[in-house]
Amino acid sequence: MQKKWADRALLAVFILMAVLLYRSTAGYPGIAQSTSAKYVRFLAVFIGVLCLAQLGFGLVRDHGRDILVLTGNRRRFLALLVGLGLFAIAFEPLGFYLSGAIFIPAIGWILGYRRPLVLGLTTAGVLGFVYAVFVQLLSVRLPGIEIF
Amino acid sequence: MEYLAIVFSPWALLTIFIGAFAGVAIGGMPGLTATMAVGLLVPFTYTMDPAMGLMLLGGIYAGAMYGGSIPAILLNTPGTPAAVATAIEGYPMSRAGRAPLALKTSVIASFAGGTFSVFILLLFAPFLARQALAFGPAETFLLALMGLAGIISIADENSSLLKALIAGVLGMIIAIIGTDDMSGSLRYTMGLVELYDGIDFMPALIGLFSMIQMLELAGQKSHEIDTSALEKEQKGEKLPRGIGKYMGLGAGTGTLIGILPGEGATIAAFISYNLSKRISKTKELFGKGNPEGIAAAEAGNNGCVGGSLVPTITLGIPGNSVAAALMGAFIIHGMIPGPDLFTEYADRTYPFIISLFVANGVFLAVGLFFAPYLARIALVPPAIMVPVVAAFAVLGSYALNNSVFDIYLMIAFALGGLVLKKLGYSLEALILGLILGPIAEGGFSQGMIIGKGSPWIFFDSNIAKVMWVIILALLVPPLYSYWKHVHKAGKAAG
Repeated sequence: MQKKWADRALLAVFILMAVLLYRSTAGYPGIAQSTSAKYVRFLAVFIGVLCLAQLGFGLVRDHGRDILVLTGNRRRFLALLVGLGLFAIAFEPLGFYLSGAIFIPAIGWILGYRRPLVLGLTTAGVLGFVYAVFVQLLSVRLPGIEIF
Repeated sequence: MEYLAIVFSPWALLTIFIGAFAGVAIGGMPGLTATMAVGLLVPFTYTMDPAMGLMLLGGIYAGAMYGGSIPAILLNTPGTPAAVATAIEGYPMSRAGRAPLALKTSVIASFAGGTFSVFILLLFAPFLARQALAFGPAETFLLALMGLAGIISIADENSSLLKALIAGVLGMIIAIIGTDDMSGSLRYTMGLVELYDGIDFMPALIGLFSMIQMLELAGQKSHEIDTSALEKEQKGEKLPRGIGKYMGLGAGTGTLIGILPGEGATIAAFISYNLSKRISKTKELFGKGNPEGIAAAEAGNNGCVGGSLVPTITLGIPGNSVAAALMGAFIIHGMIPGPDLFTEYADRTYPFIISLFVANGVFLAVGLFFAPYLARIALVPPAIMVPVVAAFAVLGSYALNNSVFDIYLMIAFALGGLVLKKLGYSLEALILGLILGPIAEGGFSQGMIIGKGSPWIFFDSNIAKVMWVIILALLVPPLYSYWKHVHKAGKAAG
């Protein structure tokens, strides 16, 4: 997708959000009508006007054909995102250590690192560091099944 | 004396040393920044003694600001964005076999800038905090507006002025999610219990400043660094005469820019660098390896450290994104920025400020003796760095509230923030809006109650009038230059 179209789509979403935000303040109860509602309306109008101005400038001046590139390597980028999602899902049921022991070497491997010993030692080092510093020293509570 | 005793206790010294050393190492890794490091570690200081936790974070802040210059000089790879100007002069010096002088200039200038700015912080912060006692809700609202006015100056060649403002207001809109303090009713929580207290800014900060960098690093096509300067024979030299002038210029400029809300170390370094270029008698050497440029840029970015903390701890308006992360640390320890920090919590605030002097001393020693070895940190492959930092980002997001929801929030902010960043919206403005939003809303709502619904309350007091003048002074010059820029571009197109 071209950058300018992505930007215009985003600005359109923001303008829609501004309208909905403004309308939503009609439902604010009691004292909020003369306080918070006015503040929220101010924000809605402000962002709406700014987005309209930006949209106008873009339509008049932006004739670029640049493509929106979120990443140079889609496979690795998505792998990290999916990995993060799975790490978060597994965080409580499996615990930090077990999920971390899978996440760190798996992502390292996917990102192209091919030295298992270094990956293993790094993972052990990180988990050991977290246990020693955060759990033992700082008393941070970590969830789920603990391997220590 | 009591505060000095706290700072110079063995545990505190060890904490500061670990913080400053870790800061230098983190700053030395391309892709890792001071904001990222401080943001990641704030949740973990929750269970620490508050003074120790703050000293650790302060050490990291000071160390990371300097650390970025090491790979900038030796590998032409700035460890932090603030070290880009240093690379322009430092790397040609390394290629010419003058790396020791470049490194020495960099660390001494960083020390000078950092120490001067902390001195200013120590001198002015208590005074400024006392003025905050006279602030009512109307002035608090104007204070937040003043912080937002700083957003305008965040705009650079990558993020236009309008987009910086949109990002700032978007941050303020995100901040209204949660319970309305005025009526107690829920707003935009979508039935999620986790949003009743609003969106905590720590997962947002970690997502926007740590995870985004990891997503970008993971997607990079290649990671090749020129190490030829490391292998080259280097000669030792004394600091050139008159270099102190450029350090002084950078220290003053950096401190002043740091005090202005929204202005960061990168801008401070570039402005200091450009000023030094203007006053230099050897202008022709700029870009080819001029230590004067390094001195100004490094004193400038480290000058930001103390400067950025002045509005942060006195008024609750973070000077930049690292200061915003540090403000988070103050808040989670129950220390609300303002006069209380210098009275009720003086036994934590003053040791924290004094510890910054020690942190500057630590990185001076580290830099003078170990800088060439630390450059190798920049060679850590992203495939190792990314999963490790990502694991800490997940852990840090979770640790503050023991909430998996915060991890999802962090990932969402990283992904959304990446799209915004690629489209030219300022993430610094977004996070400032998120932080200043509740302050602005609280001040506005209470002001409206006191003013019985009349907005004149915001123009009533003398302080308010002065604040409006400052806001206008912050807004008018960038708006004028933006208008000129648009006008010029329109003429060129037409």
